[in-house]
Amino acid sequence: MKYGMLYGALTALPLIFASATAQAQDFKACQVTDTGGIDDKGFNETAWKGAERAGEALGAEVKFLESQAETDYQPNIGSFIDEGCDVIVTVGFLLGDATATAAAANPDVDFTIVDFAYSPTIDNVIGQVFNTQEAAFLAGYLAAGMSETGTVGTFGGINIPPVTVFMDGFVWGVEWYNAARSASVQVLGWDPDSQEGLFTNNFESLDDGRTFAQNLFDENADIVMPVAGPVGLGAAALADELGTDQLKIIGVDADQFFTDPEKQHVYLTSVLKRMDATVFNAIELSQSGNFEGGVIVGTLANDGVGLAPFHDFDSAVPARLSGEIAALQNGIINGSIVPGQ
Amino acid sequence: MSAGQTSKVIDKARERHSLVVGVILIVLAVFTAWVFGYGTVGDATFRLAMRGDSFKVGDLVVPAAPYAYVVAAILAYFGARLMMRSGSRRANLILGIGLILFITAFLTWATADHSFSLTGMLKSTIIRALPIAFGGLTGVLCERVAVINIGIEGMLLAGAFSGVVFGSLFGGWAGLAGAAMTGGLLGLILAVLTVTYRMDQIIAGVVINIFVLGLTSYLTSQVLAKEAFRHLNDAPVFRAIDIPYLSDFPIIGPLFFQHNLFVYAAFAMVAIATYYLFHTRTGLRARAVGEHPRAADTLGINVFRIRYIQVTVAGMVAGFGGAWFTLGSVGRFDENMTSGRGFIGLAAMIFGRWHPVGALAAALVFGFADSVQQKMALLQTPIPSEFLAMAPYVATIIVVAGLVGRARPPAADGKPYVKE
Repeated sequence: MKYGMLYGALTALPLIFASATAQAQDFKACQVTDTGGIDDKGFNETAWKGAERAGEALGAEVKFLESQAETDYQPNIGSFIDEGCDVIVTVGFLLGDATATAAAANPDVDFTIVDFAYSPTIDNVIGQVFNTQEAAFLAGYLAAGMSETGTVGTFGGINIPPVTVFMDGFVWGVEWYNAARSASVQVLGWDPDSQEGLFTNNFESLDDGRTFAQNLFDENADIVMPVAGPVGLGAAALADELGTDQLKIIGVDADQFFTDPEKQHVYLTSVLKRMDATVFNAIELSQSGNFEGGVIVGTLANDGVGLAPFHDFDSAVPARLSGEIAALQNGIINGSIVPGQ
Repeated sequence: MSAGQTSKVIDKARERHSLVVGVILIVLAVFTAWVFGYGTVGDATFRLAMRGDSFKVGDLVVPAAPYAYVVAAILAYFGARLMMRSGSRRANLILGIGLILFITAFLTWATADHSFSLTGMLKSTIIRALPIAFGGLTGVLCERVAVINIGIEGMLLAGAFSGVVFGSLFGGWAGLAGAAMTGGLLGLILAVLTVTYRMDQIIAGVVINIFVLGLTSYLTSQVLAKEAFRHLNDAPVFRAIDIPYLSDFPIIGPLFFQHNLFVYAAFAMVAIATYYLFHTRTGLRARAVGEHPRAADTLGINVFRIRYIQVTVAGMVAGFGGAWFTLGSVGRFDENMTSGRGFIGLAAMIFGRWHPVGALAAALVFGFADSVQQKMALLQTPIPSEFLAMAPYVATIIVVAGLVGRARPPAADGKPYVKE
C-alpha cells in the first residue's frame, strides 16, 4: 500500500529549514526525519525535542530535514554532510542502510541513529535501541484490566522490529493478565509467534488510522493501541467521535495526552519511548569529543522507556489494577519478570 | 468486408472468448474444491449486527467445506456449459458472477472456525472507496472535455488542507466551501495552463502536485506546528447522519444510511454527473468537445469556454473530496495525508471507462479488496500480510483486465485545441 512511492519519485523535494539558536556556535547537530513529518506528535517530534534541547543546553546549532519518501534518506544525509554537520541524527529503522553507507564514507562525521543497532558496531555510529516491550507490557496489562468487552486491539505502521516490539509487549501484557486473573481477554491485530498482524503499511494516511480502529471496534475491541506514528491520530479521532465509553486509545512514543491536546481525553495512557533523552546524550557525547561507536539501550530501569500517567482516567483505573502494574514494573526493573518469557 | 464476413469474425472472437472464460471457471472450480473445500473444518460465522444496532439480527453461519463444494459445482457447471455451447453472449456476466462466488468461498474458507463483522466490512468498503471515487469523478469530468488531469492528487491534498484551516476558523460548512474553492482555483490554473497556453498536460498536472505538496508540507511543519497556530489544525468532523426510518433497518441501515455527508454527496455527485454528461444538451456538447473539438467548434460550440468551466468544476469536486480527509474523517491535516489516492482515482477513471458510475464501481472494487485485506489480517490466515496488502491492486487489475475489456478514451484526450 505504498502509494507514496510514486509520489516521492515525482516530488523528491526535501524542505530545508534551519532553526538557528541565539548563540549559534560552530558545532552543528543535524537531524534527518523519517516520513511522517517533524510534527507527527510522536516519533520524529520526540527525537527532535532531544536535538532542540541540545541546542538550548549545549549551544549547538540544530537543523532538520524532512524525508517525504524513502528516496529522500540518502540525499538528505548527503546535504548535511556537505553542510559540514558535526553529528547527524537519523530517525528511524528504515534509515539504517543509508546511515551505514554515509558513516562508512565519512569517518570524521559522527552519526547516531534511532531504532537501529549495527552488528558489528560501526566506529562513528551510536545506535539507539529501546526495550519498548517492557513498557508496552504494562500497557497491555492495563488494557486487559480496563476492557469491558473483553477484547482489545492493536495495529502497526509497517512490520518492522521497532514497531512490532510495542505489539509484542502489548500482547504479552494481556496474556500475563489472563494468567494472573484467570481471565480470557482477547488481543486482535498481532500474533507474536507468527509475527503477522494488522498494518497500515504507511506512516502518513491518518484516515487509515481511523478505518483500522473502526475495523477493530467492529470486532468488539474497546481499547486500541495504534503503533503507526501520526496515523494513530486517526484512531484518536474515531474514539473522540464514538466517545471514550466505547473506545479508548493508548498512545505511543510520546505522552500523547500532551502532544495531542485536542483529543487528550481519549488517551488511557501512552507507551513512552524517550528518544529525546538518547538523542540528547549522543549529541552531548559528540560535542564533548567522547563519542564512541556502539549502542545505547533504553529500558524501564534507566527510564529510556516507560508508561505515562493515566491523566483523565486516573480515577477510572481501579487501585488494585494500578497496584499490580506498579508491582510488575518493579519486577521488570529488578529482572524477576521478563516480558515474553 | 461484407456484413456476413464481419459477423463471422465477431462470432469467432466470441467463441474464443467464451472458451477462455469456460476454462477459467473450471480452473476456479478445481481450486475451490481442492483448497477451500478439502480438509477444511468448522463453520464460518459472519456477524450481521453492528455494535449499537437498535435490534440485532442473528449471525450468518456457513459450514465452510460444504459451501466450497457447492460453489465448485456451480463454477464447474457453468464452465463446462460455456465450453460446450460456445459463443454465449453472457460469458462476461457469468465470469463476473463466478468471481463473486469464488470470493465468497474464499471468505468462508478464511473465516472457518472464526467470525467477523460482515456488515462492518461492507461499510468500510464504501468509506475506503470514497476519496478514490471523488478523484475518479474529477478525472472523468476533465477528460470528457479532453484535458488530462494528473493533478488530482494535488487538488485532493489542497482541499484537505484548506478544509481544515477554514473549518477550524469558521466551522465545517465554511471548511467545505473553502476546500471546494481551493480545488476550483487549482482547476482554473490547470485550464489556463493547458487550454490557453497549451502547455503539456502531464507536466501541468505534475507541477500542481509538486506545488501543493511542497506548500502544504511547508505550512504544516512551519506554521500549523507552532503553538500559536495549532488551533488552525483542529476542525470539527462532520458526524454521521442517520437517515430517519431507513437507518433502523438491520444490515441495510448501517451500510447505506448511517454515513456522514460526504458519502451521500459522493453518490449524489456521481448521479448528477451521469445525468449531466449523458442526458443534457450541455453534456452532449461537452462530450463533443472531448471527441472532436474542431467539429464542435464548427457547429458554434465555444470549445475554450466549455473546457474552462468543466475543468474548474472538476477541481471543485476534487477540493470537496479532499476535504473528506480532514472534515469527514480525522479533523486534522498532516503532510501528504492523501498518500496517492488521487492517482488511484485516476486509475479508477480508466477502469470505469471514463464514466462516472464506472469510476465509482472501480473505486468500490478497490475499497472492497482493501477491507477484505484488513479482515484477513485479523483472522490470521496463512497468507502473509505483504500479499494481503497487494490484494486491492491485484483485484483491481483482474477485474479490469478480465471483465472490463478494452476501454477507449475520448478521441481528443490530451490534445490542446488550436482555433484556425
